[in-house]
Amino acid sequence: MRRLFILVLLLGGTQLILPLGAQGQGSQALLSFGFLILAAYTVGELATAVRLPKIVGYLVAGVIFGPHVLGTVTLEGASQLAPVSQLAIALIAFLAGAELRWGEVRDRGPLLLKMMSAELVCSFAALFGLLYVFRGFVPFLADAPEPQVIAFALLFAAIAIVHSPAVTMALLTETRARGPVTRTTLGIVLLSDVAVVVFFSAALGIARMLVPPTGGGAVVSVGMVVWEIGGALLVGALLGGVVALYLRYVGKDLAFFAILVAFFGQEIARLAHVEVLLTLLTAGFVTENVSREGEGVELLHAMERSAAPVFVVFFALSGAKIEVQQVAALLPLVIPIALVRAGAIWTGMRLGARWAGAGEPERKYAWMGLISQAGVAIGLASIVAEAYPEQGAVLGTLLLALIAVNETVGPILFRRAIVASGEAAPDGEGAKAARAPGAATGH
Amino acid sequence: MSSALVLILVVVGGYLAAHVASDWLGRRFLVVSGAEYLLLGVLLGPQVSSVIGADVFGGFAPFLTLALGWVGVVVGAQFSLQELVRLPAAPYRIAFLEAFLTLAAVSGAMTLVFTWMFRMEPATAVVPAVALGAVATASAPTGIGLVARRLGWRGPVVKQLQLTTAIDALMAIVAFSLLLTVNHAPPTGTVRPPTPTEWAVISVGIGCVGGTLFHLFLGNERKIDRLAIGLAGATMLASGGAAYLRLSPLLPTMLIGAILVNTSGSREEIRRVLAMVERPLYFVLLIFAGAAWVPSTRAWLLPVLVFLVVRTGAKVGGGYLGARFNDALPTLGWGWGRALLGQGGLAVAIGLNYLLQEEVPLANLVFTAALVSVIVMDVASARLAESVVGSARRRRAELYVAAQSGRTEEA
Repeated sequence: MRRLFILVLLLGGTQLILPLGAQGQGSQALLSFGFLILAAYTVGELATAVRLPKIVGYLVAGVIFGPHVLGTVTLEGASQLAPVSQLAIALIAFLAGAELRWGEVRDRGPLLLKMMSAELVCSFAALFGLLYVFRGFVPFLADAPEPQVIAFALLFAAIAIVHSPAVTMALLTETRARGPVTRTTLGIVLLSDVAVVVFFSAALGIARMLVPPTGGGAVVSVGMVVWEIGGALLVGALLGGVVALYLRYVGKDLAFFAILVAFFGQEIARLAHVEVLLTLLTAGFVTENVSREGEGVELLHAMERSAAPVFVVFFALSGAKIEVQQVAALLPLVIPIALVRAGAIWTGMRLGARWAGAGEPERKYAWMGLISQAGVAIGLASIVAEAYPEQGAVLGTLLLALIAVNETVGPILFRRAIVASGEAAPDGEGAKAARAPGAATGH
Repeated sequence: MSSALVLILVVVGGYLAAHVASDWLGRRFLVVSGAEYLLLGVLLGPQVSSVIGADVFGGFAPFLTLALGWVGVVVGAQFSLQELVRLPAAPYRIAFLEAFLTLAAVSGAMTLVFTWMFRMEPATAVVPAVALGAVATASAPTGIGLVARRLGWRGPVVKQLQLTTAIDALMAIVAFSLLLTVNHAPPTGTVRPPTPTEWAVISVGIGCVGGTLFHLFLGNERKIDRLAIGLAGATMLASGGAAYLRLSPLLPTMLIGAILVNTSGSREEIRRVLAMVERPLYFVLLIFAGAAWVPSTRAWLLPVLVFLVVRTGAKVGGGYLGARFNDALPTLGWGWGRALLGQGGLAVAIGLNYLLQEEVPLANLVFTAALVSVIVMDVASARLAESVVGSARRRRAELYVAAQSGRTEEA
């Protein structure tokens, strides 16, 4: 409460100096950004007090102080800070890749592939079917001809099945969880990042055949998809190799070096037209597995030390982008979709776990880690909006509302899964919640 | 492969080569330098590859402001009253005299140079001259710390040098911040533009009120990652506020650092966080400094040379006079001011802060002079510190031997 009171005083202070400043300058964004960090930090602590993940607090702070509620961070300010957000996601991707060990991929690869395939196919089919059957309730499909309904239902489903590596990593860092449920969830989330590119490209290709695009946007060919994925693996492997060499022969200033890697990684990926997230994931994976014993771990520790502020920045800015009024207006449509998606993930994971012969904890809890969605889905929605400006905009709004719901509910569910499976570290935040009376049983 | 990608790969290769080379030079010749990061910034900036274009520069501005503010907090965190009151008055007198003489000598000399070379009015010329005076006053503690660790000795010279670098930083920040309050463009849309005194009060007010509120905000927080988030937010808010008002972020954040380190129960943890983040942010500052550098359109060589010469003379001369007037020459030696020639992050921060201000004269020239001085002086700073500390150590040993032999003869 003390922090909340001081936050109000700080907000008053910033309002006091606003008339004296230079309007329209970038420094106003910095002023509000500093405030947003403190606000996210405070609300994150409050969230922990009520046994919610901190990132939900960061998101809520972003929503409250963002351009659509109190307006402390303006729309212009939020867009000016986009590079910070992109850098944060690049760092998170590198960190996520570095979490995977080659031995684990080799041993658990078939299990993860089976579970992921079942989950993605189930979710995709359920979401496509839902939109197709209930097209009359969806604004841009209500009176559309059959090919258009199929095309946009395909695109919607291909984007709505995406997961969030950022939320997964944030929760794993917060709870410092280790165990089969967290490893399976992380593995599926990372693998599905590759699969989703294929799904989406195929869906976009079919959509283009059914409904010729009215806007611009590049034509998606098989070769481009192959390059986007293969190129990302190649560029990521090269980047990882360079990082491993740096660790071996220089090995200094690792926290700063991690920021440089993320910055260069995303720039190189963008210029090479390969998938950014996958590039950084691969770079992290190669670095960790090629480096000598201890070298990769040092970098990982350096990145983990800087991870907490990165998560605050990323999720607070993500929250600032949520348009509350729009989400609220679409809730009657979004909640059934979110429920069907969650049900499909649950079914897919049960089927996948049975097929792969996974253990009881994975079968029971891993699906809860797959509900979250974040930046990747927004990126894919903007590609659709580029190709189909009119319908794409409505589709994008619906997807953003769905992402907002999943981004808020997902972390809460994943944290419950971590606590219930007993995988939170004894000194992690999740374990504290687990030790609280009634936490494990949910009472 | 696109030309931009080739450029990025060249930049990465160039940076790695420069980093490895500077690392080797550092170990071999005791060179304390961040020159490779400046070079990286120049390579990334609009002068070469444009990887850091105007939009990217704007997007990463929070890091830049954070880096500027962090420099201020780090400087402020040195002023722990508990530790400062243990020192006698003489070292303070020496330090303040040296800092004041350097500021006055460089500001005066550069005013003359600018008036003569660019036919500027003295009232205009004094603005970039005082900015350069503030840059000149700043001294890097890195080389001194490195030498003290290497020699394993912390005698009176090392203590004097460490105190003097702190006082130099204080003087540089206060002088530069006051310069910006005096040379402040009136804001649009206000009933009456604040006077320079009012701007100075606002600047100090942000620091004092901010420091008090952040002290209460952080409370007894001891977890490093949480402190890091809180401190980053506080620094960004205070420095963002100052930058928004076109004031220097250095003074408010220095006050915040001083308040936190004197009032917080977790001062050791705060120092740990500051030390942990200081180096990466210093490199960010250097990269942005390199990227922001634009070759001065004016004849810059002569003013920069004069700046380097006058600064060197003022540091050595000021140090000599300070020691002489306080009867400290036998302990410190006549040329102890040589160890203060290293420039460090504060000089870059002041130069960059000046460059980012609107409507200030000779911004590129001041910034170029600061960068040249940082590159040239930081190469030699540890060597110079070693010569000063080494000779002081020898002198002390000789005095000890002489005292011992005197006692033996008496006996």
